[in-house]
Amino acid sequence: MAMLDIKNLTLEINTGDSVIKALDKVSLSVNSGEIRALVGESGSGKSLIVSAISGVLPPQWRITADRMSWNGDNLLSMSVSQRREVMRRDIAVVFQNPLGAMDPSAPLGAQLEESIPNEFIRGTWFWQRSQQRRKIAISTMHKVGIKQHKRYIHAFPHQVSADIVQKFMIAMALVSQPKLLIADDPTRGMEPTTKTQVLKLFTRLNQTRALSILFVSHDLLAIASMSHSMTVLYAGQTVESGRMKHLRKRPLHPYTKALLDSAPSFRTNLPPKSSLPTLDGSIPTLQHMPIGCRLGPRCPRAQRACVSTPAVRRIHDHTYSCHFPLHMEKL
Amino acid sequence: MIRILVRYSVLFVLTLLVLTALSFVLAYLFPGDVLVNLSGITPENEVQRDALVRQYRLDQSYLIQFWHYLQQLMNGNWGYSFTSGLPLREEVGLALPATIEISTYAMLMALFIGLPVGYYAGIRSYSLSDRTINSVSLISYSVPVFWLALVLILFFSLELGVAPLSGRISLMFDIPSVTGFILIDILLSEHIDHGLALRDALHHLLLPTLAIGTITTAAMIRITRRSVIDVLQKPYIAAARARGLSRPQIFVRHVMRNASLPILPLMAIQITTLITNAMIVETLFSWPGIGNWLIQAIYQRDYPALRIGMLAVSTLVISLTILVDMFNRMLDPGRERFERGAI
Repeated sequence: MAMLDIKNLTLEINTGDSVIKALDKVSLSVNSGEIRALVGESGSGKSLIVSAISGVLPPQWRITADRMSWNGDNLLSMSVSQRREVMRRDIAVVFQNPLGAMDPSAPLGAQLEESIPNEFIRGTWFWQRSQQRRKIAISTMHKVGIKQHKRYIHAFPHQVSADIVQKFMIAMALVSQPKLLIADDPTRGMEPTTKTQVLKLFTRLNQTRALSILFVSHDLLAIASMSHSMTVLYAGQTVESGRMKHLRKRPLHPYTKALLDSAPSFRTNLPPKSSLPTLDGSIPTLQHMPIGCRLGPRCPRAQRACVSTPAVRRIHDHTYSCHFPLHMEKL
Repeated sequence: MIRILVRYSVLFVLTLLVLTALSFVLAYLFPGDVLVNLSGITPENEVQRDALVRQYRLDQSYLIQFWHYLQQLMNGNWGYSFTSGLPLREEVGLALPATIEISTYAMLMALFIGLPVGYYAGIRSYSLSDRTINSVSLISYSVPVFWLALVLILFFSLELGVAPLSGRISLMFDIPSVTGFILIDILLSEHIDHGLALRDALHHLLLPTLAIGTITTAAMIRITRRSVIDVLQKPYIAAARARGLSRPQIFVRHVMRNASLPILPLMAIQITTLITNAMIVETLFSWPGIGNWLIQAIYQRDYPALRIGMLAVSTLVISLTILVDMFNRMLDPGRERFERGAI
């Protein structure tokens, strides 16, 4: 049973003289206890999906979806207070660009304490309550790997390094003990040791607390090592989605194959000093999206049929949208 | 903290030094005798003239003259007015507090009306109420202050007769000047009916404050609204919403503080406009402030008065600007400690 279930999410931005489809029929689901990776180049709409789920898109952008539900409740039609309650307790988000997502005029510790749900706090008097808030904040800081809590709890975001702010962001997300964690590029700008630390924390929380994680990243190595399933996004369209090991072993969509081929760590037979295989061209801008399959102009297997959008096809729990998929002969 | 204080004091002293130098140079640039411009006394014979030249060190080099001028300013010997023959220090001491008083009330009006209205308009941005507030504030911001004051006089004093036409207080009350602020002086004075005097003074204050305050309030509303709209679009507000905080929580904890920080330096810029407006309005209401006094000095070609008046007004403006900037520096955690002070 999928906790978060999104089908055909479309996001239209009205620029004044034209309507741009930033997301075109994106489908995504996260099962309980699962780590789902959302992969795509920068500009493919990953962060837009994150914002759409958290409900913080500007009101003038139009979101439509056949289904966008949290545990069976429709996220798009529920009341503001219900939606807020879901965001407060069940879903937590780690945003990209931690420095921008932190209030620059409040100390980091105070912001962390603010995210602790009131239900966790016991005590009749306000000083008991604030003491307890402080205690929970410090233990959460230790959990995400901030050891010198005395040094950072009163610091302002601009005074500390970016990876500490990022860890605070993660701590703020985890402190409400959510059921789903949406992590938008959580290890960006971190050094490798801190990165492993954070990823290990995610894996451990997933195993011990059955925390579902939607892991948005382009770090294929990290994704391959920890996530159970993957959704690949290209220019606002879902390209392929399925279990991690199936996708790695036998990608059906040419884009998924190109993406995996471009990561040297997945290639054992790569001769030294050879150039990495990449697709020609670059990701199209939002104003000039090709019609039909948006990969069309760059796709090595493209044919005339590709000007019409391919329907989503399914083999067991592996879905793809391509007219001319790879590896079909083996199936 | 101490370093910041030291930095700002150095900045303050240096700026004042430049201003005094300018006012000293004015004595040479104004038409007429330098000695007369500097002292305000017209010597009647050669003996008196020689004595004055020696007193002001005019027979020595410019630097020594300036140094002496500085000492004289420090000691309170600011020269004499041509027209009244009174010491300028006394005249400025009477006029400047009157201007400060009226500007303070206008500023208070801007704070107590402009800030809340601006916050409201910012939160309800681009709604009908916001557009109404915005257009009203734009109109009142663009109205020339002397025209507004004249309209107020025409309507409230001449048509309705609810407010007195000019002056600071009715002539029936004899209030000795202690602090220079009329409301405080009334409370300090003896042998008068405090209630009646206060009511009369407030009646006199009403129209000038309204005229100056309207424009400052409009500026305040516009600055606040813009600042709130800017903050609402910041990613940390989106992040706070994604954390499930309610609207009032977001407003009190994140919007208010972040929106107030840029308002303070912008208000510092408005101080100049405020005092200029106050000086214009004073002449219309015959308010015995520094603006009225300076206009009289210009009419009478009272050069020593002009020299000191310019120094007094600019010192006031600069002290306020530096003070506000210093407060902002101390309140805003985002500003770096090594950032330089600026006017």
